[in-house]
Amino acid sequence: MMTSLGTGIAVGYLIFVALGLIISFAVLWSTRAGRRDKGQGVDVERAEKAEPWWGVFVVGLLAILLGLTIWRAPWFTENDDPKDVQVQVTGIQFGFLVQPTQVKAGEDVEFNVTSKDVNHAMGLYNPQGQMIMNVEAIPGYTISRSYRFTEPGTYEIRCLEFCGYKHHEMIYPAFQVTA
Amino acid sequence: MMTTAVPPVAPGALPYDDAEMPLALVQAKTRRLVLRVIWTSTAFLVVAGILGLLLRLRQAEVITLGDNFWYAVMTAHGLGAFIAWAGFFLMGITFWVLMKVGLPIRSFVLPEVMYWSMVLGVIGIVLTTLLSGFGGSWVFLYPLPFNSAGQWSDMVTGVFSISVLLAGVSILAYCSAVLHTCIGPGLKAKTDTVGQRVGLTFGFGLLFPSRFKTDRGKIPYPVLPFAVNAVDMFLATLPFALLLVFQVIESVNNGFSINVLLAGNLLWAFGHPVVYLLLFPAAATYYYLIPRYAGRELVAGKAVAVAWLIALTMNLFVWAHHLYMNYPDGENVQQTLGTIMQPTTYALVLPSALSLYSIAATIWRSDFQWNVASKFLIAGIVSWLVAGLQGIINATAAFQETLHNTLWVVGHFHNMAFLNMGLLIFGAMYAFLPELMGRGWWNERLGSWHLWGTVIGAYGWVTCQMIQGLEGAPRRWAVLPEQYLTLTHISVGFLALLVAAQLVFAYNLWTTLRKSPFDDPGAAMQGGTQR
Repeated sequence: MMTSLGTGIAVGYLIFVALGLIISFAVLWSTRAGRRDKGQGVDVERAEKAEPWWGVFVVGLLAILLGLTIWRAPWFTENDDPKDVQVQVTGIQFGFLVQPTQVKAGEDVEFNVTSKDVNHAMGLYNPQGQMIMNVEAIPGYTISRSYRFTEPGTYEIRCLEFCGYKHHEMIYPAFQVTA
Repeated sequence: MMTTAVPPVAPGALPYDDAEMPLALVQAKTRRLVLRVIWTSTAFLVVAGILGLLLRLRQAEVITLGDNFWYAVMTAHGLGAFIAWAGFFLMGITFWVLMKVGLPIRSFVLPEVMYWSMVLGVIGIVLTTLLSGFGGSWVFLYPLPFNSAGQWSDMVTGVFSISVLLAGVSILAYCSAVLHTCIGPGLKAKTDTVGQRVGLTFGFGLLFPSRFKTDRGKIPYPVLPFAVNAVDMFLATLPFALLLVFQVIESVNNGFSINVLLAGNLLWAFGHPVVYLLLFPAAATYYYLIPRYAGRELVAGKAVAVAWLIALTMNLFVWAHHLYMNYPDGENVQQTLGTIMQPTTYALVLPSALSLYSIAATIWRSDFQWNVASKFLIAGIVSWLVAGLQGIINATAAFQETLHNTLWVVGHFHNMAFLNMGLLIFGAMYAFLPELMGRGWWNERLGSWHLWGTVIGAYGWVTCQMIQGLEGAPRRWAVLPEQYLTLTHISVGFLALLVAAQLVFAYNLWTTLRKSPFDDPGAAMQGGTQR
């Protein structure tokens, strides 16, 4: 099951793919007319002159997307406000050291994620199996990421950065969120 | 209404047919070189494809593989499919397209270095992965190569690094050969200085025609992406080579180590531009072939030249989008790089967007020649659009908490690499092999089966991966969690269709080589077939 962000990405992507396919089909369909008039029925100079405007249109769309999203980059969404609970997560081939292992729903929790050997990543999955957090674990560095749990239950941490031959077994199965 | 700005060529004279051809000896040597690369890279595809199939069959629990062997296979598959097949093929075909637009190879030394260093590098990669167990993935994220948990030795890491370095030497030789070829007399600068040649090569003749004059009227558009790629890949390979040299040193000296974040940046300074080692030559090949099937010059002007200059510069400043999720506390440089490199990555959309516009305008209401080759090209172009849209999503930092290191990314790059560049490669084989081999394809209908089986099979498979990724399925897991098993099984069905389509292609190619008596290279250029 997808998260709301995942669903939003999928819907937006499918809309643009559909538009692209419609345009592609129209271009290919036009060759039927091209066959009848031996390719002479088109003003190529006009098409050439319009190309920069297409470029401007694309730049405009990208600028809008940039303006809407750059402020949501993970490093901009963290703040220095004190959190209710600090959870230390340390990756080590092939497991996670998690302390404490239990928090309460409604608390502001800050995960401090690092690694003792190679690069790992903490993928946090809710009881429905949706990934709700994705933080790299880099040896020698710490990344802090905050989250407020609303739903009690058993959460799972999976390694999302390839770390060796037991990478797929690097799972912490029981991070508890109590009511 | 017709105008004369970009006139359709006269009947019987297709775009670039007026290009001056080199001596027969040079043509023959180029033909042999290109054919050698095509056959060798296709052999690499067979191996890499089988390895890829094993990976997915293991995930679907159809077969069993040892854990480390699975990751070693994954490493070999990634490098084999991306560099040794697609990259190598397009490196080879570059010289054929350049010759066809009037820029023959000026020295065969560099292309030979390109060929042999790639072959030696690939042999080393195969040995160190499949036999010695190096399973660090094709990005071998430092310091994993030296923390194998007992699965391979530091010495194996050293030999693996040297092998990848050899592939890097191949890329450097290729880039040098392309620039040596392009910045030659073939563009016929009116004032024959190096500055004028360089200016013409990078599109300044289109932007400032009165300052950069050529006797050819207009420079052939395929030159632009080839030349831009050559400069960028030359520069991007150097930091990567440095990382590999560091790894070789560490493999013999345990006291040596490098900063983890620095290693990541060195890796991706190459690791993203290398995508364009495939995409830009693919764009150049579209620029060459599509106008021939449409029967008119590429509809393009100054905008395309500007776009390729943007690519020339921005391509070198996008690597940090692979490191969006590496933003350690207090490490503001990495965060700043991430902030800067979202817009620079967006800027790289322009060459694709304008190329797609030019190609669409060229096809629009043309008397387009439909055959197997051109259908493959069209399918590849549509995939370029689809995968490009995915690329914009991937370039957006805010989406990474959902997408980073999931199977969405795997689906995306297979969509781009296999369904854009890969289909272009098959299209180029259908288009060029008749002339290169001196005989037409044995069976057109088998070519159509190959096309539809490949498109349906591959889209079914990558779509499953992308949905799994959006649902949070981690990438590079030999055994996926139970919740993703259904889609994995469905994707195996599509993979079976994909494999069947490649077997049809192999049969058609084999039969063509054995039985096709057709011997009219000129006519065959348009994709001639026997039946």
